[in-house]
Formats: sequence, C-alpha cells, structure tokens
Amino acid sequence: MIRFQSILSRIVILHVVAVAITSILMSLALSWLLNYSADAIHDKAMQEQAQRLAGHLRVGGNGDLVLELPPDLQGLYSQAYGRYRYAVLDGNRHVLFSSLKDGDALFPADTESGEVEFLQQHHGRATVSGASIRKLVGTRTVWVQAGEDLANRDVLTDDIVASFFKNVGWITLPILMVLLVADIAIFRRALLPLRQASEIAEAIGPSRTDLRLPAETVPREVRPLVLAVNQALDRLEAGFRSQRDFTADAAHELRTPLSILRTRMETLSDQAAGKALVRDVEAMARIITQLLEMAEVDVFEVDPSERADLHRVCASVAELVAPLALAQGKEIALTGADRPVWVHGNAEMLTRAIRNLAENAINHTPPTTTVEFVVEDNGTVSVLDEGPGIAVGEHELIFHRFWRRDRRRAGSTGLGLSIVRRIAELHGATISVENRTPRGARFKLWFVRAA
Amino acid sequence: MRLLVVEDNEELAELLVRGLQSAGYEADVLSRVEDAASVLQTTHYAALILDLGLPDGDGLALLRDLRHRRNPIPVLVLTARGGLNDRVQGLRSGADDYMVKPFALEELIARIEAQLRRPGHLLGSSLRIANLEFDTRNRQASIDDTPQVLSARETEVLELLMRSKGRVVSKKQVEDHIFGHSGEVASNAVEVYVHRLRKQLADKGARVAVHTIRGVGYLIAEDKPT
Repeated sequence: MIRFQSILSRIVILHVVAVAITSILMSLALSWLLNYSADAIHDKAMQEQAQRLAGHLRVGGNGDLVLELPPDLQGLYSQAYGRYRYAVLDGNRHVLFSSLKDGDALFPADTESGEVEFLQQHHGRATVSGASIRKLVGTRTVWVQAGEDLANRDVLTDDIVASFFKNVGWITLPILMVLLVADIAIFRRALLPLRQASEIAEAIGPSRTDLRLPAETVPREVRPLVLAVNQALDRLEAGFRSQRDFTADAAHELRTPLSILRTRMETLSDQAAGKALVRDVEAMARIITQLLEMAEVDVFEVDPSERADLHRVCASVAELVAPLALAQGKEIALTGADRPVWVHGNAEMLTRAIRNLAENAINHTPPTTTVEFVVEDNGTVSVLDEGPGIAVGEHELIFHRFWRRDRRRAGSTGLGLSIVRRIAELHGATISVENRTPRGARFKLWFVRAA
Repeated sequence: MRLLVVEDNEELAELLVRGLQSAGYEADVLSRVEDAASVLQTTHYAALILDLGLPDGDGLALLRDLRHRRNPIPVLVLTARGGLNDRVQGLRSGADDYMVKPFALEELIARIEAQLRRPGHLLGSSLRIANLEFDTRNRQASIDDTPQVLSARETEVLELLMRSKGRVVSKKQVEDHIFGHSGEVASNAVEVYVHRLRKQLADKGARVAVHTIRGVGYLIAEDKPT
C-alpha cells in the first residue's frame, strides 16, 4: 500500500487514476451507446424498407404474386449500387423474388418467426444485415427480407462511429484534467488556514505558551483537531506555570531556613566551625540561586527593542565578584573598550551570563592569578582565566546542564555554563571557548551590536 | 536608636533582633503589613528592615505606601526572591538597599549602618577596618589609635573607600568625589592619589589593603596574609 505524505499528493494521484478509469469507461460507454443507436437506426431503416417492398406486392391475374418496383427502388436495389438487397419468400421457403444475381434468399427462411426479425448473414465476403417481416398478401403469407451490405453501410453513421474515439473520446481527458487542476486549486485554498495555523504553532515553545491556534478560520472538519490541540496547550501551559511557580516557591521556602541557619552559625562560639558551616550554607544558597535562575531563563523572552551597555554590565559584574575574588587572593580586571558598547539585549540577563562566566573562572583559577574581562567595540566580551583550561572533548560538554568535571566539588551545580549558553541563545549571541597559552581558558560571547 | 524589623518568620526575626542588639541597636518586630503600616504612622524608627513575602500582603506595597506619604525612613529590603523583576521592582518601589536571603548578619548590619550614615542620619562617626580607624566628624585617620597626617585628597579617597567597606568604589565615583562634576581631571589623577594613599598606609603599618580592580575601581579590605 502506498503511503502518501500529503493530502494534496494523495488527491492528485488518486484523481489521476480516477480520471484515467473514468475516461476509458466513459469512452467505452459512449461508443457502445453510439453503436447501439446506429444499429437501431439501421434495423428500423431495414424494417421500413421491407415494409415498403411489401407494399409493392400484389396478387397477379394468374393468382401468382407480382412485385412491381418503382424506378427509384429499382435503382436502390440494383446490382450496380450493390448496397441494398431484398428477397421475398413464400410459406414453402421458395424464393419468389430476389435482387440477388443468383436469386437466393438474404437470410435462411424461418417460417416460425414472428412479425419482424432482424438477421445477419454472410454472403461470400459480404456481411448482410437486415430485417425480415411477415406479410399477408391476398390469402398468402410471405416473408419480405431487406438487407444492407455492412461493408457499404451508411457512410455518415459509420464515420461518426469510427471517428468517435479520435474526436470525442480524447475530449473527455482534457476536461477531466481541467477538473483536476480546479480541484487542486480549491483544495490548496481550503488548506490555507491550516498553513497559517501551522505558522502560529511553530512559534509555540516554553517561552511562548500563551499562543493558541485560530479555531474560527480553519475548515469545520479540522476544527475539532484545532480545538483539541488548543486544549492540550492549555494543559501544558498550566503545567509549565505550576512548574515555574514551584521552582520559585521552592527557592523562596528554602532561603528563609538557610538564613536562619546561617545567622545561627555566625553567632556560634566556635568561630572556626562556624565559618566552615557558613561556607556550606553559601554553597547551598548558590545552588538554589542557580536553579531559580535556570527556571527563569528558561521562560524568559528578550524584548527586541531592549539595549544594554556591555561595558557597564561587565563593570557591574566585576564590582560584584571582586570582593569574593580578592578574598580568595585572586584579581579582577576589566580591559578593552572604555566607552559604552551598546548591544541588543536585557541588561539583567547579560549580567547573569557574565557573572556566571566570572564565577566559573574564579572557581577554576588558582590564587594570585587574574580573571580578566575584555569588552570590545564589536560587541564581544571575553572572560579569561589562568586555570587548567578545558580538556579536549569537553568544550561542548561543559555547557550541558548538570555537567561537572569533578562531581565531588562542593557548591558546583553544573548549571552555571548552561545558564550562560541559554542566555546567549536568547540574545542570538554566539559563545565560544578556547584554551590560552600557556594556561587558562577564554570564554567569548559575541552579541549583536545595537546602533 | 530603634529599628523596625518586619519579618514573618519568628525564628529569623528573633535572630535578627539579637544580632542587631549585639551591634548596639534596639529593634521591634512585626510580622504583618497592616501592623507595620499603622505603627510606622505613629512611631519614628531610624530604619526599616522589610521582608517582602508577608502573610497578609506584599512588603513592596507597604514600601510604596511609605514613599507615597513621603516617609524618608531608610529601608533595607530583605527577600528570598532574587529574581530579576523582584530586584528591579524593589529598588523602584523606593528601597534604599536590597539583600537576598541567606544574608550575612555582619553585612546586613554594615549596610544598615551605611544607610544610617547618610546625610541627616548621622550615626556614630567612626569607621574601622583592622587597626585603621577613620573619624568622619573631624576626618581624622588613626592607625592603632595613633592619629595620622594625610593630605586632603588622600583623606577624601580614604573616607570614600571606608564608607564603602567591602564594596568596590568605581574610579568615576572617586573622581566625582574628589573633583566634583566640573573641571578637567587628569586621566591618571585618581591612580596617583590611590597609589600615594596605599604607600602611606603601608608605611605606617595599617593592616589594610587598597585593591585595584583594573578598569573598574578600588576596594579597601583587611589585609589578610594568604
């Protein structure tokens, strides 16, 4: 069984098959009808001729039957014309009159037959087709036979029948093809609302769960499907929303107890133990923050008209992470352009992306080294560290959610870089990572410059 | 000096009050927006520590209401929400500062004090890091309680850095602070003053470090041997 990919191709192919079958059947039917009509006309004509011949029979003076034909009939049945012939038989099957040279009957005499009989008989090479009628002349019953040589049949009728396929049969095909083209056009038009609905459906995603397919414009036959899809989208949206709320609520509910925990630890009499515990709490808080950020970034949409100053964003991130880096004996530097660099994007989101890169760099860089931000006029920002760099084969892996090289490392969620990549995607920015010589890694974000 | 803490979690509120008390502040605790709104109309507090997620409403509504009535009380918003819009909204609604839970009690107190030291909210006049002390009233720096002689510009830079203890002060802020918004500033003027200040502090045995964050600004912190 053939499987069609589209309704349109299914319609075209099945329609072509239907057209082929229809045109053959129609031609056959028409030509059969034509032949049938031609035969009927012929039979009727023969019967009339036999009647006419019979009208010229009369009983002669000696009691014998006499056939006196007027000149026009004599011409019609003449050997020279050769087209029509007749014969008259009596009850004893004797041929009384015949237009044939040998005086034969046209058809074998059948005295049992009814009023009228249509017969066909081969005479040498000719095929004679005609009618035989029973006629009472005086007191005697005779059979008058009139026939026509089919080889010389009525030219007009023959021509029509013979040229039927050539002239008429072929017309049906183009007509049916025109119908096919019209059908395709109608169907394409009918499918147009579906195509428009598909375009809307394409835009639906985790960040656009509010869109619905237009149920009013689609054909009524498809409407149940569209409505069902819309209802499915409603359910999905509700699911998304509850998930979003859950993440936000979870983060919220976890942070207050953490605050209590942390404050208690800060007031512990054993300061050394307290500090270690506070670090654990901070690591936990970081994980919660990243989970929340991931949840937010997943559903965030960038306003296309929004612009952000990349230089300002980097400076604010540097200010934010500097105390932490300095406390670990690491330096922070911002180099490159020292003027505003405007790019398309949401400043808070860019801040998050660069902050995550910075935190990642600070986590992987040894003390006394520098984490450097380089902002360039072309809308790029690079974050350079002097850590171990990225192993070959991990350049892609590091951006995966929850991927961590060292699973034992505390406070690392493996979410930071995936948040960076997601934000880059949101902004149509490209992200690349390469190792530096002699050591370290360079993450580069390439944003779209704004006028 | 009395502070008001609006926080619905009793345990956290109690810890906050205890922490503030040990830093020398008395604090009252309320857990509902409604109560806080009526109390603030009749009682004067030096500052307000406001949690956003309260059982009977949003702390931001209270904050907007306060600002609408032109109440200038310094407000530090305390929230579990670190979300994008929350932060922007918090500051737009008139918060003076914003801290996301879990916060360091020490930093909370430092930030409250920073608010209280704003003009008109003069708190104690002494800023301290390790053995370095700065009296904001007579603008006198002391190391190990020995008054030091610094130039006027160096003193200004030091004051600015110490007021922003633990936070980065941008180069632009330093420029504005020293030279005001008018006048030409030599591009390396700030570097020169910071360099001199750093040298002075080191020479006189202050256990503080003035860090340069290249391209961004400066930060003063206790110099911990690493």
